[in-house]
Amino acid sequence: MQTPFVEVDVRPILRAGGEPFEQIMEAVNTLKPGQGLRLFATFKPTPLLTMLASKGFTHEAKELDGGEWEVLFSPAGAVPAKDEHPAGAAASRDGLWPEPTTNLDNRDLDPPEPMVRILATTEAMEPGEVLSALLCREPLFLFPELAKRGHSWRGGYEPDGKTYKVLVRVGEHGGRAA
Amino acid sequence: MVGVALSRWTMTYFAAALVALLAGECLMTAGFGYPAAAVGAPETLALVHVISIGWLSLLMCGALFQFVPVLVARPLHDSWLPLPTLGCLVAGLVVLLLGFLKLGGEIDFAFSYFSVAAALLSLGFALVLWNLGRTLWAARPLPLPARFVVVGLFSVVATVSLGAVFALVLDGASNDILLATASQGLPIHIIAGLGGWLTATAIGVSYRLLAMFMLAPDLDGPTSRGALYSGATALALAIIGGLFAIFFGVNLSAVLGAAGLFGLLAVALYGRDILFLHRERKRRKIELNSRMVGLALASLAIATLLIIALLVAGKFEQHAAAVVFLVAFGWLSGLGLSKLYKIVPFMTWLECYGPIIGKAPTPRVQDLVAEARAIKWFILYYLAVWAATGALLFEVSIAFRGATALMLVATIGIAVQLVKSRMLADVKAMPKMPVDIQRPSLLFSRAS
Repeated sequence: MQTPFVEVDVRPILRAGGEPFEQIMEAVNTLKPGQGLRLFATFKPTPLLTMLASKGFTHEAKELDGGEWEVLFSPAGAVPAKDEHPAGAAASRDGLWPEPTTNLDNRDLDPPEPMVRILATTEAMEPGEVLSALLCREPLFLFPELAKRGHSWRGGYEPDGKTYKVLVRVGEHGGRAA
Repeated sequence: MVGVALSRWTMTYFAAALVALLAGECLMTAGFGYPAAAVGAPETLALVHVISIGWLSLLMCGALFQFVPVLVARPLHDSWLPLPTLGCLVAGLVVLLLGFLKLGGEIDFAFSYFSVAAALLSLGFALVLWNLGRTLWAARPLPLPARFVVVGLFSVVATVSLGAVFALVLDGASNDILLATASQGLPIHIIAGLGGWLTATAIGVSYRLLAMFMLAPDLDGPTSRGALYSGATALALAIIGGLFAIFFGVNLSAVLGAAGLFGLLAVALYGRDILFLHRERKRRKIELNSRMVGLALASLAIATLLIIALLVAGKFEQHAAAVVFLVAFGWLSGLGLSKLYKIVPFMTWLECYGPIIGKAPTPRVQDLVAEARAIKWFILYYLAVWAATGALLFEVSIAFRGATALMLVATIGIAVQLVKSRMLADVKAMPKMPVDIQRPSLLFSRAS
C-alpha cells in the first residue's frame, strides 16, 4: 500500500524566526489513518524525529540544497509512495497551502499567454492565497518572475505525462499589498 | 524547478553573427572567392569560415546558451563564461582570416597565423563545450532534443580538431599522420561541421522550439529516436570510419557513402516528424517565423534530393559546392534567420515587460514585430538563395553575384526588422505604461 503525504513547509516560519511546532503537531493530529507527513525545514529536526517515532511514525530524512531538509514521516507499516507528486492534492491540504482560490486551464493558450495570465491573476490575489494552473509545458521562464515577486510555487507533471500543474502561493509582498 | 533566466550574452552573439553574415554576403557579391576563385583557393576558404564560424557557429552558440537550459530545465552552468568565449572565437576567426589573406598574398606580414588561430578557436570551442557540457551532464537523463545537441557537441570536437590539424600543416608541420589527415580529411571536416555540429544541433533545438511555438506535443517516439540514432551513426561512420579509412588506406568514398545512407534516413525521419508536428499542432494560424522555417526545411529537402540526383548522374564532385551553399544558406541560415525573428522579440519582451506583467498593461510578444513588413525580406532571401544555388549549378558566375546581392539586400531588411523589434520601435504606446520601462540594450540582456 502506498502512503499519501500531507505536506507542511515550515521553512518560511523558521526563516522569520518563528516557532513551527504547533503547526506541525496540528497537521499530525489531522492526518487520516494511513496518511503520512512530508515536512520541509531549514535544519534536520532531530527532536521531532524521536517524538514522532513515539507516535508510531517511521521517517526518511533527505538533505536538500542549501542545508535544508525534507523528511517523510510514514505511519509504521506503510510504504512511502515513490514519485509522489508535490503538486498533487495532498499539497493543498495542509495549513500553509490552502485550497486554491483560483483555477486556470492555460493548456490551449499560445506562449507566453499562460505566463501572462498567471502573473496577472496573482496580482489580484491576497497574500497567502493559492492559484492552481494547468499548462502543457513546464513554465521555465515563469519561475524567475514568481521568485522576483516573492511568490512560492510547486509544480509537476500530472500522471498523464502531458499536463503540467503548477500551484502558486502569493507572497507577503505580492498581490494587492504591493 | 528553478526556471531559466535570460542568457545575458546571447544578443551579443547574435549581433556578431549577423555582422559576419552581412560581411560574407558582401564578399560574395563583390566576387571574392568561389566561383570566381577555385574551391580550395585561400579567398574561398576565408569566405567559408566567415560564414561557418562567424555567422553559423556564433548564431548557434548564442542560441544554445539560451535554449540548452530550456531543453533540460536547468540553469546554464556559468552565465559569464560566454563573453570570454566569444572573445576567443572572434579573435581566432580574425587571425584565421588574416592567415588566409597571407596565404593568398593579400598581406605581407609573416606570422604563425594558423597555429595561433587554431589555439584561439580550440580554446573558444572548448569553453563552449565545458559550459554546455556541464549543464547537460547535470541534467541526465537527457530528453531527446538535448541528445541531438550532444551529438552536435561531439561533432564540433571533430570539426575543430581536424581544422587545427589543417592549420598546423598550413603553418609548416610535416608529421606524416598530420599530412595524411590534412590531404584527405577535408570532406570529414565539412561533414562534421555542417552535418554534425550545425545540422544535428539545429534539428535537436527545432524539435523543441517548433513544438513549443506551434502548440504541438513533444515528440519522443520511434521516428524521433530513429532520427537520432541514424544521424549519430552517420556521423560516427563519417568521422571515425573516415579517419580510419585515411590511416589504413581503405576507400574513403565507400565509407562516406555508407554514412550518407544513414544520414538520408535521419533526414527522412526528421522530415516525417516535423510534418507530424505541423499536422498535430493546436495553434491553427502559425506565426511568420514558423512559416519561414518551412522554407528552410524545404531547402534541406531540396539539398537532399540534389545530392541523390548528382550522385546518380555521377556529377557530385563537380557540383558539391552548390550543395554546400544550399545547406549553409537555405537550410541553416534560413532556419537561423527565421528563428531569430521569434527569439529576439521574445527575449526582448521578457526582459522589458516581464517585471510589470499583471501590474500594468503590456504589449504581446507579437506586438514587437511587424510581420507584414518582414515577410517580403524573408521571401526575397529564400528566392535569392535558390537562384544563387541554380547559378552555381549552371556555373553562371554573374548570376551568382546578382543573386547574392539580393541575399544581401534581404538580410539587411531582416536585420533592420530584428533591430527594430529589439528597440521596441514597433510597439504602440500603451495607456498607463509605467515610465520606468528601461529600453533594452541592443547588444546584451540585463540580468533578470
